[in-house]
Order: sequence, then C-alpha cells, then structure tokens
Amino acid sequence: MSRWGYYDYFEPSRPRAVQGGIKAQSKRGTFGESWWAKRWIAVLESFHIGSRLERGRSYARRGQVLSINIDKGTAKAKVQGSRPTPYAVTITIKALTTADWKKLIQALSSQALFAAKLLAGEMPQDIEQVFTAVGLSLFPAALQELDTECSCPDWSNPCKHIAAVYYLLGEEFDRDPFLLFLLRGRSRDELVKHLGGISPSPQRDDTAARQDAGSASSSLVAAAPTEPLPAEASRFWRGADLPDDLFGEVQIPPVSAALPRRLGNFPFWRGAERLPEVLESLYRQASQRGLEAFLGELRKKDSDR
Amino acid sequence: MIVLHAFHTDGQLLLWGEAPTPSSPDSSTWRRQKRRGNAAAFFPYGADAIALSAALVHTAGGVVAHADGQETRFVWLPTVAGQPLASSPLIAEPPESDAHATLAPWRVTTLWLAPPEAVSLLCSCVNSETLAPGVIIGKDLAFWAMAMRFAGALVARQQFLPTVRHAGESRAGSLTKREKHGRYRTCWEPVFLGTDATRLAQLAKAMPPVCRALTREVIAPPATPALTVLTMFLNATVDYLVRSSLVGNATGVFSRASTKRQVRTRPQSFASIHDHWLYTLRAAEEEMVGDASSLAQFAEQVREWQRPITASTATPFRLCFRLEEPVADDMEIARSGRSANTAWYVRYLLQAADDPSLLVPAADAWTANGRTAAIFTKKGFNPREYLLTSLGQAAGISPRVEDSLRKSTPSGYTLDASGAHEFLTEQAWLLEQAGFGVLLPAWWTGKGTKLRLTARATVRSPKMQGGSGLSLDQIVRFNWEVALGDETLSLPELQTLARLKAPLVKVRGQWVQLNAEEIQAALDFWKRKTADEMTVRAMVRMALGAGTAPGGMPFAGVTATGWIADLLAQLDGQAAFEELPQPAAFQGTLRPYQVRGYSWLAFLRHWGLGACLADDMGLGKTPQTLALIQRDWQTNDKRPVLLICPTSVVGNWQKEAARFTPDLPVMVHHGLTRTKGAAFKREASKQAIVLSSYALLHRDFEFLTDIPWAGVILDEAQNIKNPETKQARAARSLTADYHIALTGTPVENNVGDLWSILEFLNPSFLGTQAEFKRTFFVPIQANHDPEATERLKRLTGPFILRRLKTDKTIISDLPEKMEMKVYCTLTKEQASLYAAVVEEATAALESAEGIQRKGVILATLSKLKQVCNHPAQFLGDNSAISGRSGKLARLTEMLEEALSTGDRALVFSQFAEMGEILKRHLQGTFGREVMFLHGAVPKKQRDRLVERFQTDEDGPRIFVLSLKAGGTGLNLTAANHVFHFDRWWNPAVENQATDRAFRIGQHKNVQVHKFLCVGTLEEKIDEMIARKQEVAAKVVGTGEGWLTELSTEELKELFALRQEVVGE
Repeated sequence: MSRWGYYDYFEPSRPRAVQGGIKAQSKRGTFGESWWAKRWIAVLESFHIGSRLERGRSYARRGQVLSINIDKGTAKAKVQGSRPTPYAVTITIKALTTADWKKLIQALSSQALFAAKLLAGEMPQDIEQVFTAVGLSLFPAALQELDTECSCPDWSNPCKHIAAVYYLLGEEFDRDPFLLFLLRGRSRDELVKHLGGISPSPQRDDTAARQDAGSASSSLVAAAPTEPLPAEASRFWRGADLPDDLFGEVQIPPVSAALPRRLGNFPFWRGAERLPEVLESLYRQASQRGLEAFLGELRKKDSDR
Repeated sequence: MIVLHAFHTDGQLLLWGEAPTPSSPDSSTWRRQKRRGNAAAFFPYGADAIALSAALVHTAGGVVAHADGQETRFVWLPTVAGQPLASSPLIAEPPESDAHATLAPWRVTTLWLAPPEAVSLLCSCVNSETLAPGVIIGKDLAFWAMAMRFAGALVARQQFLPTVRHAGESRAGSLTKREKHGRYRTCWEPVFLGTDATRLAQLAKAMPPVCRALTREVIAPPATPALTVLTMFLNATVDYLVRSSLVGNATGVFSRASTKRQVRTRPQSFASIHDHWLYTLRAAEEEMVGDASSLAQFAEQVREWQRPITASTATPFRLCFRLEEPVADDMEIARSGRSANTAWYVRYLLQAADDPSLLVPAADAWTANGRTAAIFTKKGFNPREYLLTSLGQAAGISPRVEDSLRKSTPSGYTLDASGAHEFLTEQAWLLEQAGFGVLLPAWWTGKGTKLRLTARATVRSPKMQGGSGLSLDQIVRFNWEVALGDETLSLPELQTLARLKAPLVKVRGQWVQLNAEEIQAALDFWKRKTADEMTVRAMVRMALGAGTAPGGMPFAGVTATGWIADLLAQLDGQAAFEELPQPAAFQGTLRPYQVRGYSWLAFLRHWGLGACLADDMGLGKTPQTLALIQRDWQTNDKRPVLLICPTSVVGNWQKEAARFTPDLPVMVHHGLTRTKGAAFKREASKQAIVLSSYALLHRDFEFLTDIPWAGVILDEAQNIKNPETKQARAARSLTADYHIALTGTPVENNVGDLWSILEFLNPSFLGTQAEFKRTFFVPIQANHDPEATERLKRLTGPFILRRLKTDKTIISDLPEKMEMKVYCTLTKEQASLYAAVVEEATAALESAEGIQRKGVILATLSKLKQVCNHPAQFLGDNSAISGRSGKLARLTEMLEEALSTGDRALVFSQFAEMGEILKRHLQGTFGREVMFLHGAVPKKQRDRLVERFQTDEDGPRIFVLSLKAGGTGLNLTAANHVFHFDRWWNPAVENQATDRAFRIGQHKNVQVHKFLCVGTLEEKIDEMIARKQEVAAKVVGTGEGWLTELSTEELKELFALRQEVVGE
C-alpha cells in the first residue's frame, strides 16, 4: 500500500454501523453530568487534539464502542471503526504508590463527607483539593501520566477511538467514581477499608444479607437453613396472629420511582429509551394496581373472561 | 362443604382442598393403586378436581382453574395411628390427643392457578371466612391473601426494583460457573427497607406450617423455612402485579403456558441487551435468551447498580432523623420584637430494627465505647461504616445533610423555621421513602400541624314565614370567618401572622403551619365581607364536615344561630331532640329507649333526612318503626309506606303490624298472584304499609316507582350494601318523603358498605361513589387516616342510631329474658308438601277409628312439623338444603347477625334428623364449627362439647341440641340466644330448654326466639295455647296427646293451611 493509497483509504473512513454498542447518555453538549466526569473530560480536551475530539464524541454517541473493561491502572476497550475487526484501545494511567495512598487516606479522614460520599457512590466536591494538599493529583495532570494505545492505523495519539472511549469513561465515572480510584491503583473495597479507619466486617455482602429465596437448585437448598414442620395438629394448621395495622399506611407516592432514582444512571446504558423516564411512568402505573391488590379489589370480572 | 388450601411453588398457586367424606369414585381407584405401590395413600378427605373447580365458581366473577392444571402432590400431615388429622372438626372429629402425631405424606389432587386467577381468588378471600356457603377459606389460603396484600402494598408504595436473575438461581448465589450457560429471567423484585423488613419477618412468623407442607416426591417432609417460602411468593406476586399493570391481564397472557414456556415469538431482535431487558420487563414473558457470558455480565451489572439499596436492607440498625423543636413562642417574639433561640435541630440516630425504641445518637455511635459499643458488637454491626454509608446516601437527598458532613463526626444539623417546614413537608417524606427512619414531633400529623388556620361559616337563621314550616330547602345567607383552633382571629392578629412570613410559627405554645395563600384568602374574607348563599340542606352537609372553604383553607364547621343552630346541635348530638309520646293508636308500650329511637326517627323524618336504625337484634326495631309509620300515616294524608324486606320476614312484619298497629291497613305484595300495574296502584294507595321483597323491588320497579310513597323502608338494609346490584339501584331510585334503613349488623364498621346505604338515605351526602372512594374509602382502608375516619363518622353519625343490648347505660330497662316469636314463611315447595300431607290425612281420618285414628293424628302432626322445618327432613332423602325452608333462611339470617356481634346461640329441635341438617347447613354457611348434641352422643363426649362451648374462647359459637338430649341438666350460660327451631307443645319443656342458658351464671340478657310458620298448624296451636294459658298448662302438660281428643272437624281446621304468605 503506497503512502497516498493509505490516505485514500483512510480519508473517507466511515465506521461500520454497530448495533447495541455503548451509547453515550448525553445526546448533545458536554459529556458526563457529575463534576468529576467533566473534570476528566477536561483533561482530554486540554490536549488540543483538534477534530479527532469531535469525531471521538460522535463515535461515542453513535455507539461505536463495543465494550470497556476497567482494571487497576488500565481501561481496555473495543471500538468498531471502518475495518471489520474492531480496534483495541488501551488507556493506562500511572498508579499512585502505597505511601501516597496512605497520605491521601489520612487527609480524607478529616471530614466525614469524603468517606460518606464515596461510600454512597459519589465524588466529594473538593476531593481534588485534598489530593493537591498532599501533593498529588486525582486526574492525570499531564499527557505523561496518561499512556494511550490504539490498534488503528492512525498515527496520531490520542486518535478518535481513544477519544470516544475517554468520553464514555467520563460517563461511567458519573455512575461509579470508584473507577477513577481503580485507575489510580485502588479498588473500591481496598479504599473503603481504609477510609475513616473502617475495619472490614465479615458479613457486608448484600447477597449474604438477603435471604436465600430459591429452592430449585438443590445444592443451594442443602446449604440453606431448614425449618421442620411441626407434627401437632394444633400448630400445623394455624399460624400466629398478626396485628391489625400490620401494613401501616399505604399510599401512592407523589414522586414516582424514588428507589431507582436513588440508584442513578445505569452503567453503560445502551437502550434506545432513557431508563429513568421509562421507569417513572412504569412505576406510576404499577403503583395504582398495587393499591387495588392491597384493597382486595383485583377480582376478575366476568368481562375479563 | 369444602375447606380450600393453597401452596405456592414455582411462581404459581396450587389449590387443594378437604371435604368431609371421600369425594368421588375415582379417588378410591387411586387409593387401590396406591396401596399396591409405595407408602403414600390417597388423603381420605382430599377434594377431587371437580370439587375444587366447583368451589372456585363461587368466587367473585368466577375463577377458572387452568384446563390442564390438575396434578397430584404429597401433603405431609400430622398423622395418628395411620389417620391424617384434618384441619378442622368440620372435616373430621379431632382425636382425643395429638401428642403422638407424626408427619406422613398423603396423596392429594391439586389445581394450578395462573397468577391472574390466583390474585383474584386471594382478593375474594380478603376479610372473609367463606367464599360462599360451604366453601371455607383455610388458614393457609387466608395467609396467602394477607401476603398478597403485602405484595400489593409494596407495589403501591413502589418498593420494588427491576432486576435479572439466572433462571433457577438462588438469591444467595454469587456469580458461579453454572451461570455462564443457561437462561435468565427478568423480574420485578420487592425491596424490604426498614419497617417492611420487620413486616416481612412478622408475616413469616405467622405463616401456618401447612403453607409449606406439599412436595412433589415422597422423600422427606419439606423443611424450607417460612421466610423463604414467603419471599418466593412475594417475589412472584410483586412481579405479576407490576407486569400485569403494564400489559394488562385480560387476554390470558399470564396463563401458565405463556409464562413457563417460550411460546410467543419475539417481535424483533434487540439492538442491545438493555433494549431486550426493558422489553421483557414490560412483557408477560420474562425470559431473556442470548449469549450466556454477556447475559451473566449484564446480571452482574444490574446487581452492582442496585448495591446501594440492597446493601442497606437487613442491617440491625438504620439511620434515623429526628426533628427537634426550639422552645420560644414566635407570636411573643413578633409582638415584643425580641429575638430568641429559634433554631431547630435534626439529630442523627441509629435505630435498632428489632426494637424501634432503641435509639443511639450518632454522636455516641461515632466513638462507641462501653455499653453503647456492646450493643453494636452484639449484633455484629459496624456503626462507623454504616453511618458513613447512610449519611452519604442521605446527602444525595438533602443538601443540609451534605453540609453537616464537613465535620469528622457529625451528629446532626440546625435549621430555621422555614427549613424545618421544608423538612416536615418534603424531606421527611423523601427520606422515609428511601428507607431511612424519620421521627417527627407529635403535633405534626403528616399533612400539617394539628392546630391550623381554619375557616368557618357563620349563618343566621331566617325567620319563620307565616306558618309555613321550616324546611331544609330554604336558602340562607352566610359569612366566612377565620379561626385558629377554637378562637376567631381578629384582623390585627391575622396581620401579625402575615408579617411573620414564616411557614411554621408558635402561637400560644403550639406550632401552627401557615400558608401564605391561606392567609391571603383570610385577609380577603375580611375585606370582602359579603355573604354567600346556599340551602339549609347544603349547610347541614357542610356543618357535618363535607364543606370546603375558599383559598383551600381547612374547613372547621358552621356557627349558626336560631333554628339552624338548634338543628345542627341536635344532629350533632349536642342537644336533645324532643321525645314524643307514642302514637295513641299504637298498641303495646314502647320501652324508654324505644321511645327515644322512635322520636329520633320522627325528628329526622320531620326534616326529610334519612335514618338508619341499627339497633342490636332483639331491641325492637320493628315496633319503633311501626310507631313512626303510625304517627306519620295519621298526619300525612294517609299515604302508604313501601317496606322492603327479605322474603323470610314478610310474615313476621305482617304479624307485628297486626299486633302493634292493628288499624293500619297492610298489603303484602308477593307471590305469583300479586297485583300489578294500575291494579296495584289502586290497591296500594289504600294501604298504610305495602310489604314486599328485595327481589320484587327490582322486578316490579316499573310500577313500584309510580306511587307517591310517604316513605320507603328497607329492613335488613345490608341487602343493598353493594351499590352495583339491581336491588340497590332500584332502592336508590325510589322517591319518597322519607327513607329509613333497618339493620342489625354493624354497618358503620364497614366503610365500603356505607356509601350505598347512605346514598339511599340521603342522596349525594357522601358525594359520588368515586368521590367517596377517593376521600374516604382509600384513605381509611389503605392509609389508616384517622382524620378521614373521624370525618366520615361526623358525616354519617347523625343518621345512624345503633344501640347495643350490652350497653346497660343506654338500655337499663331491658328484661333479663326476652321471648319473641319469629314468624316464618313457607316456601312454595313446603306449601305444596304441606297441602299433600293434609289431603292424605283428611282421607285417612274419615275411615280411621280409635287407636288407629290417634296414630294418624300424631303421624300427621309430625309430618306437618317436618314440612315446616325443611322438605329434606320430611322427605328424608338427603337432598339439597339451601333455599328450601323459610325457617332455615330466617334462622341463618338471625344467626349471622348474632355471630357478627360476637354472641353465642343454642338451637333446639325436637328432631335429631333436623339437628343434623342444621349442623351441616350452618357449618357450611359460616365456615365455622357447629356442635350438635343428640341422644346418641356418649356422656364423656357430651361433657366435652359443653365444656368447649362454655370455656373455649375461639370455640364453636353455635350449639344445636335435640330437645330430648339437651333440654335438661346442662349448663350453657355462654349462650345469650336460644332458638326453638320447632315447637314442643309443652311450654314447660320449652322453658326448661331455655333455662340451659337462662340460669345462674348468666350475665347477659337472654333472647328466646320461637320459630313458627305463618298459616300452618304451628301458628294455630300457638294461638290456642296463648288463648287458654291456664288450660294449656294443664292439658299440655301431658304432651301432644290432647290434640288427639279433638274432633275431626276441629282437626281439619287445625291442619288446613291458611292462605298466607308463601315465599318463592
């Protein structure tokens, strides 16, 4: 392939259409809603890579990124370009040393807010200042701290593929700020363990806290606790009494879908509809039906048959 | 009779049942097969599929079990000596002791119910004990109905999340290798935060063990914990409720076939797994089939996404916010201009899940040591981490919480009055929804402060105009004024409040919520000073709490002067209404409380308001009503009253009218020969009372509505409690000067039933049915809103008079023993049987002599009595029971009323066969055990029956006794009703039987009801005995022998059926 030929090939490059790729939540304007996502993207934009930034953004919005995997220090992604085989993108960030982490955690313990917000899945507003105060930085301060690679033929780095992944990472941080720390070398659990001098407690896993609700799988039933049936007829046929007001107040909440709201955006949402909007109307509909069931009014009418 | 049971497995309800006898021949073939095979025999009391399906037909709207839904399962039951122990004595007598019971498997037929059918069935089980006469709701089925309501409550309060699970995956399972291959299903799962977790545990603890006693194979008795079984049920039900709200369930999409298998082709392939997920969340089918590893990854993502909420369930403590108020008085401060400490405080606390009164301030929890630390470590709880996590979550809801976290160990935050108001009205709610505990001051009611600015209307009564009586249709003018509690506010006071510009102020030591719009509206009243207009009827309605004030201000009532004030005070029960002397033409004497009841009826009638007389059974609703009719008839152009009652009491009304108001012409509009159309109109206009039944109210409505009735009276008015029924619609459409409803069941306790009756009495008083549902039914039933309950009581109270026989302060003049005759109506079948027996006897008497003649007479007597009791007794053919005997219908109605007020009753019959029929019928109807004592019961068992009746709180409340076996010797003072279903012509024998209840040790009034059929020999013998009391005492003492001394002519007359009321 001649040099010119290469450009002939490259210039009109239209990426192959992808179905079901990771689509950016933002339809226009800036990426990421949280300040830290914005801050992350600002780092990219400060590198002045020109039109590749623009293309990267449209890649991200069109769903060209097929997958992203984040691990300590690195994010690996597959991006569909114009060639049949997707490109492999790797973004590596310099991890902090153990000593640096120690300093940092001490500084973070001065206000409950840091630990509380992080535990609740949010990035404290002024956490960057804490980093600065101990002479560190959360976001890559310079290109040198950031090592990016892409298997595409474009020589310039960062290329639009890297930019697309970068944008989507920003949105991903919206949801889970701990990923930023992971890229800096500490997993969520490691960080949580140290924040506020918390010692790890054995039974914190949510799955363990919930009761085993299944019996179909025999291996799990064997492990589950058992409760033998009583053989006395007096106990066998009847249960204990319940208070009259067992269920308390039952009202349709004025604000719909409070629980999923509290969970925030779904990670790497690729659905055509926006999840929060779908859930809001859906919860409202379900709520009405729930109330009817509670009142014992969901009886089949003859017309239903 | 059948007792229905249910088991829940694989997201479906399995229905099975118990019936007293082995039901069908095919079950015996089963049994033979089983005897040859392995250990489990067919459950001897198991109901077969036909019986189960038949039972379901009775549920509201009819539930149809799935066509191929029949399956055999094993139910593990307590078993003694190879015999399974039934759930209730209705099925089989319990053994002497179940001490040596062991669990053994029994084969049982089950029916699958698809979720829509299951929910419909469970809805029918809410608040009842039977689905239909003879279809009894087992304790387990009732439990599932309760659990279904819990699922409904969770969905209503939106405590659920969408998720995806590996098909067959347990919730405890983490990502395992198996998950990589296999299918997933999306589901809507309940979330149990805070109190819901407590409710879940409470409910699991209350689960009858039979709920989890079924297995597919005979291996070992099931031991799945109740909590697991319950959670599976709730998961399935919540999922169904949410899904069906999105797709509707009318088209049968939730049948078992479509939920369990992949039968519908997908409309499209999906662009992403997220589209796929959303699609299946909104569809009836729940499976997601696709690339196993990406599905597994997706499942993990969903789990991760939900972590903040799932992690907060099931912790031993929860974060709790307590709003604490300052102490200074704002009104004082505003007047004096001083400033004071007006800071409010929201304190963070940890609240123990199992003991909500255990509250540890966060301040102590941060640095937990000593005893506080011990509380936490005992529960394996890390307070620091928990506080940090929860506060972080709360910070997302409340910026003030976020600000407070600037400290290393925050214990709360301060806020001003408007901040406190915002906390009360918005944040408290949000925090609670998100699963945090919230403790608010007692003066906050959830909607606002107890003390509020209120508007009241003031009205001055117009003068009476030249003799024309006062009427509720008069138009009156009224003004508005503004009050705080009981005190009317002056303009300067109002202006002071307006100047405070605070949403929450303390006035005279009490917190008051101020709404700027309300204050503006109040100031506007002041400026306007103009009057509004409405009718007195609307004013009455408003005064009873159904009003709204302009500006959205809460309405606090009407201040009136003159006759309107008197009227309002009388309605409210604050002033007495005039006690009237009983009408001169009224025969007999009303007791003092009956005079009050009659006067009350007259008072409301005077104002054209409807009245519901709901006195306890036996207090004499009939004479009170007849007294009113008598009085009204004399003063009101002698126009007729339409009195609608159940067929079974038509005869009784006729008798009572003849006794108390003999000069009132009464017409019975009943039977095939009844007059219709113009003839009816002509005939009816000459009457004081036209008696008819509920069935005809609808059928003959066309010409019934044509008469200008003075009044319409409904006896047993609970018959119209369902507003949709034809008879209820017809009753509401009849116009008359006054409306009265009579009932002995406590209608006021059932909010759902009130509307229909009140709408009949006072149209539009409670608003339309939809308005009523919105403003009263849902708030009271679902929200337990005490304010709505109170409002409803105020609005309906003036029109319902209910006096209890136990209330000695009101009814001091009730005799300890009251004897009443209950006149019943023969059914058509009874009448024709009766006629046949008489015809046969007449022929036989012509030819018989001496001993033979005596034999004929006694045999005829016995036959006629049997016919009066029940055709099935006379025919001795074990035929159907329901709907064939007027006496039985009346007895059932009366017992239902007695049971509804917690009474106990003895029912005597001289025929053991009748006793058996009564026991069977009453057990089936009420779904409760009915005891039966007859001559063949051995002494030991008899003693046990008596003891259970006397001492067992939850024991049987109806005791049927044969006159011979139970008429003497026993002590049955637990009963306060004695029914003599048939008569023994010896009053002494009857009295002796009555004295089983009416004797030393009886603390209640005893009501004795003697049943007799109108127009039959029962009535005639009764008349003879009454006429010759003293003779009777002598001759009757020898039993029925004296009757054989009568001449043939006398006998013929005695036997002849007088053409009277015959039911349909």
